[in-house]
Amino acid sequence: MHDQLPSASPPKPAPGLFWNPYLQIFLTVLLTAAAQILLKVGADASASNDSLWSWLGLAELGSGWTWLGILAFLASFGGWLYALRFLPLGLAFALTNGVHIFVPIGSWLFLGEHIGLLRAGGILLIIAGILFLAQSVAEVEEKV
Amino acid sequence: MSLLAWLLVIASQLALVAGQIFLKRAMSRREHGGEKARGWIGMLVIGIATMTVWFLLWLGVMHQVELSKLMPFEGISPVLIVLGAAAFLHERLNWRGWAGVGLTCLGVLLVSAS
Repeated sequence: MHDQLPSASPPKPAPGLFWNPYLQIFLTVLLTAAAQILLKVGADASASNDSLWSWLGLAELGSGWTWLGILAFLASFGGWLYALRFLPLGLAFALTNGVHIFVPIGSWLFLGEHIGLLRAGGILLIIAGILFLAQSVAEVEEKV
Repeated sequence: MSLLAWLLVIASQLALVAGQIFLKRAMSRREHGGEKARGWIGMLVIGIATMTVWFLLWLGVMHQVELSKLMPFEGISPVLIVLGAAAFLHERLNWRGWAGVGLTCLGVLLVSAS
């Protein structure tokens, strides 16, 4: 019902905590947050100019931080593909908004950035939204 | 933001939505098996190629524009994905799903505004 392709029986994840699609989404979110911070550090570290390389985003490839960020993105991609096998795309993608919880927290921990009242409120809204999404997925799974 | 930055942002959002739909199609085909399963690797390659385009465009945008100005676009991308999934994958959200998407997007906007 959530995909146009016919399904005789809904796909079931392998047993064990590690193969839980929600844990995989969580790992994807953590790795993506790490990647975002690394990419930002890499973008700041690479020289600013208006060359073709620069606006194509290729100037950043000169920074080691960018490559670490790319590695983190690739690792997160495995977990994401796995989760897509079992969860509808719209819900799964909305769950990845959890990145915006971990990026400010990571920036606070590692870059010494301040978390203001507005930002803290935003983080709480995202957490509330993720709780709704989780309930929504549970409903969908019950119907299947 | 310059016109070029706007074009890059719009192109990257389109690539993101298209790429995710290709990826979901690929993984669904793989799960469902049978005749449809055969094309899943090809579909995965198309999805990864599209996501690579998104990645490079996004890196380029990040280089030109402050991250805080880009966060609102990150914020609306789940809505675009939900709409894309409804149109191309026939996914339907219940009210809790929409509430969750709305709250998280609002939260992302607040985080980026601060």
